[in-house]
Amino acid sequence: MKSFSKKLLAGTTVAAVALVGSIGTLVAQEKPVIATVVKISGIPWFDRMNTGVVAYQEANSDVVATQSGPATADSAQQLQIVNDLVAKGVNALAVVPMDPAVLEGTFQRAMERGIVVVTHEADNQVNTNADVEAFDNADYGAALNERLAECMSKEGKWTSFVGSLGSRTHMQWVGAGEENAKKYAGMTLVDPNNESFDDANGTYEKAKEILRKHPDIKGFQTSAGNDVLGVGRAIDEAGLSGKVCLVGTGLPNPSADLLESGAITAIGFWDPQKAGMAMNAVAKLLLEKKEVTDGMDLGVAGYNKVSVKQGAGKGLLILGNGMVLADKATYKEHLF
Amino acid sequence: MQKTGGQLAMLLVINGLLLIAGSLISSGSFLSIFNLQSMASQVPEIGLLAIGVMLAMCAGNGGIDLSGIALANLSGVMSAVIMSSFLSATDNGMAFSLAFIAGAILVGLAGGVINGLLISRLNITPILCTLGTQMAFMGLAVVVSGGKAVMVGTPALLSSIGNDMIAAVPISFLIFVVVAGMVAALLRFTPYGLWLMLMGTNPKAAVYAGFPKNGVIVATYAMSGMLSGVAGIIIAARNVNVKFDYGSSYLLIAILITVMAGVKPEGGYGRVVCVVLSAIALQLMSSLLNFGGLSNFVRDFAWGLLLLTFLAVGRYDIAGFLSLGRRSQNPSVPVPQTPK
Repeated sequence: MKSFSKKLLAGTTVAAVALVGSIGTLVAQEKPVIATVVKISGIPWFDRMNTGVVAYQEANSDVVATQSGPATADSAQQLQIVNDLVAKGVNALAVVPMDPAVLEGTFQRAMERGIVVVTHEADNQVNTNADVEAFDNADYGAALNERLAECMSKEGKWTSFVGSLGSRTHMQWVGAGEENAKKYAGMTLVDPNNESFDDANGTYEKAKEILRKHPDIKGFQTSAGNDVLGVGRAIDEAGLSGKVCLVGTGLPNPSADLLESGAITAIGFWDPQKAGMAMNAVAKLLLEKKEVTDGMDLGVAGYNKVSVKQGAGKGLLILGNGMVLADKATYKEHLF
Repeated sequence: MQKTGGQLAMLLVINGLLLIAGSLISSGSFLSIFNLQSMASQVPEIGLLAIGVMLAMCAGNGGIDLSGIALANLSGVMSAVIMSSFLSATDNGMAFSLAFIAGAILVGLAGGVINGLLISRLNITPILCTLGTQMAFMGLAVVVSGGKAVMVGTPALLSSIGNDMIAAVPISFLIFVVVAGMVAALLRFTPYGLWLMLMGTNPKAAVYAGFPKNGVIVATYAMSGMLSGVAGIIIAARNVNVKFDYGSSYLLIAILITVMAGVKPEGGYGRVVCVVLSAIALQLMSSLLNFGGLSNFVRDFAWGLLLLTFLAVGRYDIAGFLSLGRRSQNPSVPVPQTPK
């Protein structure tokens, strides 16, 4: 059996060498390739982003735009996809990092090879040419709170929920909300920064406790995607729909019922479809060696007048105005 | 030896086929030197963990090591946190790198010894014991790092382990090959190797024959732990940062690799060279699917298919069946007898 495996080894080596020899004649595709890599494929958020990448491809036939992502939520799997794409020789990467820290080494190697790197939801990424964010986190938090204040007639007790105390963006949002509420003397913050762990059931229990502890509470500002569902259910069951205000981050489809019943006052979010298009637009600009300047129009709704700052590393931080606040009257325009 | 050779030949054929398929799909760029280097530098992390699982499986009595990736992350996180409080990665790169490497291997060794002692002294079933230690290691890494990524940076030596080549071969891959070679030599030429395999085949007989049973088990898990430590070093060198939850999918992939390599889950048989080839085959396949732009869900399907193929080969000796002339001389043999 040993000589058999040796023969096989020799055979495959010869075949491999012959194939390696034939590569020289092949040239790379002439159209630049922009590869979008998402945190995990097959979930609604990134399926929605894929529609943006497809739309971008249709509008720009001079580039090849594709989207891929790991089947399991593991930063190591995403890292492998990025590594393979770098080896394949794509011209630009548009990545939504699962964990920005894990990708630093690979991004550095990619940029050394002349690949344009654009990221999203990673304003602390050091090795990137540009990071595209849908909005300024402080502005978003303030906008959510402003909507809440409007509903509460600018007075009464309110509280806030975050996914976890370690979640940077969530803390920025509620922090900006608190700042905003200081404008109104009548608004008092009680038991702030409840941790929800993005679990609708846990949030529901916690919201019921708060409703019992503060029967006169008037408002909730929430952060993680499932918080509005948990708090909304608690408000709905207590028969307080329309009397207690709830504004937080959420997606239109899952929140539809509670928006209709009035338990959720308004939801805030950004559209991953537009974010995907904006990332590709920035990647194309950088591939064409054009500069992204303050106040520029990327040609994507919500990114018509971006503000450009210095990012965490040498790259740019590009902030759009892609925040969407939707209520009972308007959520149907954004169903996903 | 019939089955042994068959498995090796099958793995070689599969690797060859994957290379050919890759070059056809990508019109050659799959075999470009850069992609070969890229794939070679992706194999070591998972390959080292798979060798660890193989060692544990060989020890028999339901041996398995589920704590591999958690221990690799813990080694990286702990060593980075401790060393960076003494040394600066930017000012004193070489010293930091050496200290980091030593620290990671020591943490790996300590973790492995804990596994070994729990299994041999307290007689805990390996799957439960390593499941427990996996959680403990991960939890410890969270506590030590505060749940955040720990920056290792790019000090001189570590940076070259992660990025540089010797004779166009990535250094991380060379480390993997050397470590695998050392383990293979240990299994083949030392009494330890013989004890391990015989003990895996029949633990009761091994005890009556006067084998140092506890010593062998502790040494086996300690070695598996050290391999995790080395994997932790390579992860840190390549990614610049280490984090407690890196590679959560590696646990099952490492087991998949060992089973594909023909390691007997009931113990007593396993070859390092097959594990290395099987790890390479999985890497080729996943890179191939990424090159073809196929969904990653297809990859899971393809891996499953590959695993079933190998199980079928192990059982019915298809490799022997395919090499026509040999079939008459060596009729298919059923699975080798296992201890009753």
